[in-house]
Amino acid sequence: MTVAPLRLLILGGTGFIGPHQVQYALDRGHKVTLFNRGQTNPKLFPGVEKLIGDRNKPDGYAALKGRTWDAVIDNPTQVPRWVREAGAALAGSTSRYVFVSTLSTFRNRREIGITEDGPLHEPAPSDAVPSGAAYQAAYPGAPVSTYGPLKVRSEMDARASFGEKALIVRPGLIVGPGDLTDRFSYWPVRIEQGGEVLAPGSPHDYVGFIDARDLTEWMIRLCEQGASGTYNAVGPKHGMTTAEMLYGIKAVTPGNARFTWVDTDFVLERKLRPYAELPVWMPNRGDSAGWARMNITKAVTAGLTFRPLAETARATLAYYHAQPAERQASLRSGLSPEKERETLAAWHAKAR
Amino acid sequence: MPLKILVLGGTGYIGPHLVEHALAKGHTVTLFNRGRTKPGLFPTAEQIVGDRNAPDGHAALRGRKWDVVYDLPATNPKWVVGSTEALKGNVPQYVYVSSTAAYKDFARSYPDETHPEQEMAPIEPTTPPAQYGPSKVRNEHTVRDALGNGATIVRPGLIVGPGDLTDRFTYWPWRIEKGGEILAPGRIEDPAQWIDVRDLTEWMVRLGENTTGGTFNAVGPRTVCGIGELLYGIKACYSNDAHFTWVPQAFLTERKLRSWGEMPVWSYTGASTVAFSTSVIEKAKAAGLTFRPLATTVRDGMAWYHSRPAAEQEKLRAGITLERERDVLALWKAANGTK
Repeated sequence: MTVAPLRLLILGGTGFIGPHQVQYALDRGHKVTLFNRGQTNPKLFPGVEKLIGDRNKPDGYAALKGRTWDAVIDNPTQVPRWVREAGAALAGSTSRYVFVSTLSTFRNRREIGITEDGPLHEPAPSDAVPSGAAYQAAYPGAPVSTYGPLKVRSEMDARASFGEKALIVRPGLIVGPGDLTDRFSYWPVRIEQGGEVLAPGSPHDYVGFIDARDLTEWMIRLCEQGASGTYNAVGPKHGMTTAEMLYGIKAVTPGNARFTWVDTDFVLERKLRPYAELPVWMPNRGDSAGWARMNITKAVTAGLTFRPLAETARATLAYYHAQPAERQASLRSGLSPEKERETLAAWHAKAR
Repeated sequence: MPLKILVLGGTGYIGPHLVEHALAKGHTVTLFNRGRTKPGLFPTAEQIVGDRNAPDGHAALRGRKWDVVYDLPATNPKWVVGSTEALKGNVPQYVYVSSTAAYKDFARSYPDETHPEQEMAPIEPTTPPAQYGPSKVRNEHTVRDALGNGATIVRPGLIVGPGDLTDRFTYWPWRIEKGGEILAPGRIEDPAQWIDVRDLTEWMVRLGENTTGGTFNAVGPRTVCGIGELLYGIKACYSNDAHFTWVPQAFLTERKLRSWGEMPVWSYTGASTVAFSTSVIEKAKAAGLTFRPLATTVRDGMAWYHSRPAAEQEKLRAGITLERERDVLALWKAANGTK
């Protein structure tokens, strides 16, 4: 492979998707610099240059002064003012600014095949911050907004600061090794445990997600290509149903899992929370009818590829089993065993 | 405790898997066959040459002692009469590979080991020759009569994985690997069963180690499985545009696309093959049968398939051609007013 080595500055870079990005960039021969507080996983990538700064502090970007980059990748931001400050600090010193946005910028996902031009949320106020004590402490009195509107405002600010140099990627649910939310991991872990597994909705409902490695590897390749503009970034490429996802995951386990599909009406009546308690899945109707059927033609044309589900499931399980026992015992998404059992019992009682 | 193992045959499809595993577990293996197929495959195994079709063809086995014998290829009743007679008193356990074809009524679902058997074939050859199932039943009886509690009868279903020359399982990964619109038979919950050749043979070695006698259905997966689970599980091993169009059984039957033949692995309630896809395996599981993940079977099976000569890879021995599939899908869509 012959790509010209890039000088990449990665803001954050130590969370879920960052390490995958860094590893791939290094594998491709690029020169990587990390910029963060130096608090999370400080021993990661010992050979990589690290610049320290706190984006919540005045003059937090001082360490970046006088340096130039071919591309800056902004991973963790949902604070519009961070994006503006990054613009002020970096607009003159980088050829590209890659902003990781989200499909949550869309006002709803009612339609099937929503493109990058679909209707978005109203942007949050410029000075808005996410909820959370850390943000309140750093920005006393700032209005609080939610994820989607904050990201819409951030995208606008990124475009205002960087213009044609702005590359905006809107991922859907990011999954795979390193995921701290368990919003996909619940399924491989649950299926590996075996027995009767509650499956949401219909076997034919669509689901969507993207392996963190597919996302980050593609982002590095976009930098290599000098891409700009806005991209929906979710998979799988050809549509996937819950039956395909669950049986596909089961194919990598030697377990005895079997699935009972509990229909959407029942799920909603019982106040089970789609996506959180029933990970990945959203009702295939109403405002989420097109949730898992976004138009991703632009991203695929620009080189987004997808690993087989079996690889995502295997790597997710390997990561999970490498975690400490307490972490393994407390999944952060999905149904508790008791709630799953109760719901299944109620469903079977109703069917009788 | 290392065992002294005698393997009759051992050079075909399941034999090499069994021998390799037995050697890996530290057992001593003697092969008995004509010495014509894959000679020298296992240099550390003793080789005794003999032809089970020849008069007194088992003579070379007389007077030797083993802990357990595995009889892998025998259908001809005279072979088993000959081997049990030659080994009499010198081998306490005889593991005979039979088949679910030993059962009488293949159209009955969920056969367990007490399901009625076929009428057994006579020992002497007949015209026309006795069929596979009745011959297997005769051989089971010969082994039980000679060995009593030392008889271990294994009745596998569809054996799949690396080395399978029938392509009866391979058809599906082969087809899914090609991508595009795929004709999928019946309903996703229609029954499907198979067993990875390595799961089967490793378990057979354990049956010897544990001196487990009795009769066992031997197929998987662990739990009741639908054809949809199989196809979706295989699809998870690929990342192409494979997608399935499910065509009802009645439509397929009218066009002579039959379960197990043109549509491999698949069966349905009332099909003349349903016993092969619904065998009860609780007894084998209790006796230690385990199951690899489907994705492992697919990966290893396809790695082996891709190592075959190009001409063989192009012409599968089971399933339907891409042309036939396209024609049937077109007919199905025309009949349903969809494009």
